[in-house]
Amino acid sequence: MIALGLAYAGTIVALAIPEAAPPLVPVVVLGLLFALAENLSTALPSSAGQSASFMLVMAAMVVFADSHSYLGPVLVASFGGLFFIPHYRDRAWLKIVFNTAMFGFMALAATAVFYPVVDALGTSWPALFVAAVPAALLDQVVNIALLACVLHLVGVAHPREMFVGLGKASLQVYPFALLGVLLGQLYVDFGPVTLPFFVVPIFVARQTFASYLALKESHDATLRILIGALEAKDPYTAGHAERVARYADYIGIELGISASRLERLRLAALMHDVGKLVVPNHLLNKPGKLTAQEFTAVKRHEYASVEILTRIDFLAPVAPSATTEATRFKPVSDDHGQPIEPHIVAVADAFDAMTSTRSYRRALSQEIAFEELRRNAGKQFHPRVVDALIAALRRRGEVHGRGYETEVIHENAPEAGTGSAGLGDLVPDSFGGMALP
Amino acid sequence: MRLAPRLLLIAAIGAVLGVAAELLWPGRGAATLVALGAAVVAGELLVLRPPVRAALPCSYAVFLVLVRAGSAWEFAAVVLVAEAAALVAREPEPLRQNLRRSFVSVLAAFAAWGVYSGAHAAFGTSTTTAILSALAAAAVAEIAVDDVMNYLSTRQLPDLVAGRSADLALIASGVLMSFGYAGTDAHSGIGLWGPALLSIPLLAAWYSFVRLESIRHTYEQTIAALAIVPELAEVSEPGHASRVADLSVRVGAELGLSPQDLDFLRAAASLHHLGHLCLDDETTLGRPIEPDEVAERGAEMLRQTEYLAPAGEFLAADSQLVGGQILRLTSAYDDITRGNPALARTAIERLALVPGQFDDPRVLLTLERVVVGVGAR
Repeated sequence: MIALGLAYAGTIVALAIPEAAPPLVPVVVLGLLFALAENLSTALPSSAGQSASFMLVMAAMVVFADSHSYLGPVLVASFGGLFFIPHYRDRAWLKIVFNTAMFGFMALAATAVFYPVVDALGTSWPALFVAAVPAALLDQVVNIALLACVLHLVGVAHPREMFVGLGKASLQVYPFALLGVLLGQLYVDFGPVTLPFFVVPIFVARQTFASYLALKESHDATLRILIGALEAKDPYTAGHAERVARYADYIGIELGISASRLERLRLAALMHDVGKLVVPNHLLNKPGKLTAQEFTAVKRHEYASVEILTRIDFLAPVAPSATTEATRFKPVSDDHGQPIEPHIVAVADAFDAMTSTRSYRRALSQEIAFEELRRNAGKQFHPRVVDALIAALRRRGEVHGRGYETEVIHENAPEAGTGSAGLGDLVPDSFGGMALP
Repeated sequence: MRLAPRLLLIAAIGAVLGVAAELLWPGRGAATLVALGAAVVAGELLVLRPPVRAALPCSYAVFLVLVRAGSAWEFAAVVLVAEAAALVAREPEPLRQNLRRSFVSVLAAFAAWGVYSGAHAAFGTSTTTAILSALAAAAVAEIAVDDVMNYLSTRQLPDLVAGRSADLALIASGVLMSFGYAGTDAHSGIGLWGPALLSIPLLAAWYSFVRLESIRHTYEQTIAALAIVPELAEVSEPGHASRVADLSVRVGAELGLSPQDLDFLRAAASLHHLGHLCLDDETTLGRPIEPDEVAERGAEMLRQTEYLAPAGEFLAADSQLVGGQILRLTSAYDDITRGNPALARTAIERLALVPGQFDDPRVLLTLERVVVGVGAR
């Protein structure tokens, strides 16, 4: 990092010798905006923060394009590393040096490709927009390369993995690059007085989006507390909801469902047993088989789950995930227009029930669980969903079930049996061969 | 119809009418006016809904472009036609409300026109500062009209500072879009490309507000859904949580709690029996469960979330906060009345006899005023 800092200082000197000093006002104005953007970005996912900063580098390139000053954009970008307040608070001096140098080099790389393209094509709007493409790409390449070097030295990540997201990152940055071109041109034509009008709405958008993310986080936390309460009621199923949500997520990805539906699926899977909150504790924790009357009482949880989920618009379409009736696969019915989410939750739920040790039976091995799922595919379970789960787990190299459990293990659980705790087991006769073969 | 297809339809109709206008009156800027008219209609559909303030349509930003695009007559014609079209294009809502929305927009547009023309006559359009000031004044006039109209319909004075971020985004973007359209005497703008491109930050703000509103809505529904869990489990009376929530908020509003505290009070009241479900049941415990235990357990749960932690403070069994006292009192009140208004007076009289339980006497007096009527005692 010190080497990088020295290289950066050397570059600044090398740039400063042949060039006349760039005009101070745009450097300071754009630089301070860059620093502001960096300091505010901590609340946002890193990609969004970076994009807004690149907009300012882009604007600086347009502003300095006439004078061909490389020093201008580099200095503007350096402000972002130099004035990042949290690093001063943590006394992370090396990080300040690294970030200042990294932002500087990113800007230098982008400028080095931007100016020649502008020279060749002119400074018309379309030319500037075209020139912004390679500039955005190079900015990202240098960003990832420098981060990869450091993370590789620390041994955290493999460089090749980091370049995988390069194309997507550049695409995300490009709209901001266009805005940067506009901002720069406004500055050139009308002076710095137009900048606040440009920055204020972006600032508002970012702050609002940060509030959105915080509230979403809190909403998830509220649901998680509920799940926590559920698992406190029924310790035999600790971690069950989280695992079902994870398996459902795997299956959803495998089946290629959209990101927004995936989010809904994850929450539906997390909440599929929420109705258990209405079942009295002594019934949930009863060892051994339930009487018919108790079974009906426990079964009421499905009705309660649906009742709760349908009141939330966002989750209402997947509320049937909580019932055994809707999740049972019907080979005759076509699945056009029918949501597949309930089937996904059913398979994820059954898989976790089989591969977890419960008070009344030890976990089955993953292979036996797969066999059970396959045997019931097309009868109880949706065959595509079963295949997707098996493929997803194989692809990830994950093994669950006997010998691989991470959560509570009940040492003296019997080899086989059925009981009340895992509601995934509650389907009467669902697994005819529940006992080990 | 969903928003995206409606916007596409507006764009398509705008394009067809624009071409037709250009053929009918070639070279007189008719196509530009049609495009801006379509943008006004689209702007009426893209509404910024900040949590604190009343909704603001993005068409306010387009009006600022329109004031520089044609004569007074052209401006008036485009605004009136576009607002008439917006009546059809908006989401189906009560006609009265729909008409009112269009009426407010028309007033705001004419206010912008008046202020801009006045400033234009006074300062000219030669310098950047003169134009920016005139446009900013016109934008502020729009916001002022909007505030006055909201006051007239709700009789609630607008807050001059809080929740103004959407106003700022709208004013700044509108000014810049207009500036990009026509520039100054020295530097001409880039025509319709200016407002089209410079509206991107405003659209980003709009999108962020949409997401924020949607998660707020989901959160409210989640709390309302969780509120019925104790009822399904038969540990509280049907309707109790929602009645207590409504009543606490009314009492809290009378006592001058902030809108945010009222939100927390509603959440705390909705969830005040949730803690019951996490306690062992009475069969296992072998004794009845005390209300304080339920409140304490519920408060503990809420304190674990960042957002609802203040609601947890209201719910705590020994909360001395006004919100906490309101919640305890309205819950006790509903335990007596069970939603039957005929029992209101009896309930108040019985609650007044409980010594020292409700420390702040204003709380009981306010509850009385809310449930029995003003000046009943």
